[in-house]
Amino acid sequence: MAKVLMKGNEAIGEAAIRAGCLNYFAYPITPQSEVAEYLVRRMPEVGGVFLQGESEVAVGYMIFGAAGAGERVFTTSSSPGISLMSEAISYIAAAQCPAVFVNIMRGGPGLGGILPSQADYLQATKGIGHGDCRLLVMAPASVQEAVEMVMNAFPLAEKYRNPVMILGDGLIGQMMEPVAFPDHLKSEPTNKDAWATNGMDHRKSKSRNLVKSLFLDPVQLNDNNLQLKAKYERMRAETVMSESYNTDGDYTGLIVSYGTMSRVCRTAIDMLKAEGIEVGMLRPQTLFPFPEKALADAVSKPSCTHVLSIEMSMGQMVEDVDRFVRGLLPVSWYGKCGGDIPTPEEVIDVVKERFA
Amino acid sequence: MKLEFKGIVIIVGAYGCGKTEVSINLAVHMHARGTAVRLADLDLVNPYFRTREARHELTRLGIDVVLPPKQYMHADLPILTPEVSGMLRNPSGLALLDVGGDEVGATVLAALADSLRGKVLQVLQVINPNRPHTNTIDGCLTIRREIEAKANIKITGIVGNANFMEETTEQDILVGYDFSRRVAEAGNVPLVFITTPVKLLTRLDKKAIQCPVLALKRQLVPPWKRAESLDTSES
Repeated sequence: MAKVLMKGNEAIGEAAIRAGCLNYFAYPITPQSEVAEYLVRRMPEVGGVFLQGESEVAVGYMIFGAAGAGERVFTTSSSPGISLMSEAISYIAAAQCPAVFVNIMRGGPGLGGILPSQADYLQATKGIGHGDCRLLVMAPASVQEAVEMVMNAFPLAEKYRNPVMILGDGLIGQMMEPVAFPDHLKSEPTNKDAWATNGMDHRKSKSRNLVKSLFLDPVQLNDNNLQLKAKYERMRAETVMSESYNTDGDYTGLIVSYGTMSRVCRTAIDMLKAEGIEVGMLRPQTLFPFPEKALADAVSKPSCTHVLSIEMSMGQMVEDVDRFVRGLLPVSWYGKCGGDIPTPEEVIDVVKERFA
Repeated sequence: MKLEFKGIVIIVGAYGCGKTEVSINLAVHMHARGTAVRLADLDLVNPYFRTREARHELTRLGIDVVLPPKQYMHADLPILTPEVSGMLRNPSGLALLDVGGDEVGATVLAALADSLRGKVLQVLQVINPNRPHTNTIDGCLTIRREIEAKANIKITGIVGNANFMEETTEQDILVGYDFSRRVAEAGNVPLVFITTPVKLLTRLDKKAIQCPVLALKRQLVPPWKRAESLDTSES
């Protein structure tokens, strides 16, 4: 397909359609409302449904209902909206249903602001809902990558029967870049016979499917939690993604950064290189599971003296970075979280001050 | 062919068609030609990539930028500063309005109806055929009808802004020119000008283009890129 010039939010909507998802339930919030604006025009063209819920709480349970019935379904929201959905996300994870949630993050806490932020890292990777539930979390750094991640999110959600989150910052939603879409991939979830409550008529198996998250028997509840845990371990083994930059030769320090923040860091690394200072970067593409092995490999380079986590938050991912560097090197954080994105010049100053 | 504008010029169009880049660059171009320019940021619907992000650069060049009060600069609230109706009542030189996207963004013009009544207006619809929804002539005409209905205003001309941002090629400009000409013809309005990234200006086959061309120096860039310098503004 020829390229189109699209905002990230529009491209996310189109990518979901291309992934065969024809159910979109949402509630508007800046900076992601363009997904709804795009899909309100586009869904009727492909026979799909866009339904605005009366709140994000309602939307969360509309997603649960559609997912439980074996339908591909997704929603998009921004930070405070995701907080409202988090109860439903926990239910969906407990009932082992697939669904895709997109969080185009804005500054927080509370109402915060409407400019870009990455301050929902901990929420997405560790605290999305109550109980022992986790999401598979992917973080795009370009509009094209957002398209690819959204299209992958649906099959991954079905493979693991677990919600998947695309964690983008406001800039990913709002910026425009040329994008190409892969061919139309409309396909049904392959394994839904085992769980979808879509009536006995279509099913090969004769057993009843039941969508539930209530297990009053302590042994059964523990078993369900063990199943979930085993699934999260499988994600760790099978679905980790990261990208390295300027790590082939020696480097004095390693930046860890994701999303659009990593693109600022990339420019800074190029500018530092022109001054003769070599800095490497690891960009996690999945935040859960975190690319712990890639990080361990990158910090094992003898020339590397420092690891710097740069994020649009007050220091969230740095907790994982610190955990996986395992005390081998000093780890520090730099960031901002008000909507002002650190500039390449600021990154350069921090690098020089800390280790170069 | 030279670009000549005075009086009130209103820039409208679909979301993301490039209204703001066109407005900023048109303001700089006319200012460099000796016209007094006031540019109002009327994008009340989208909080990202607005004229206000280029305010320091524009002010430095001597262009008068009309903005919401400072404390609301980063809001997406429907704030219309009284200065806007002032600049419309007594336009001197060029009064340029950069309006928000789609019919939703253009609704603000209905609120300015009193100030606009009886005035000679140029209302220019910016189109980029590489964007969804405006990739067909029908799509462009639909947006036009929607904007005219909500804003209660008639579009008087087309601005062809075919681009893929920094990936734009000469071919994109020529194909876009042809498309824009057909949109103008179908809508029975003139194609007022087209744009080109400044780096392609000298490479374009001018004989193939029968309308003025505005060279764009991209201003609204993500934080890992630098805006192009506006200093040598004669184009």
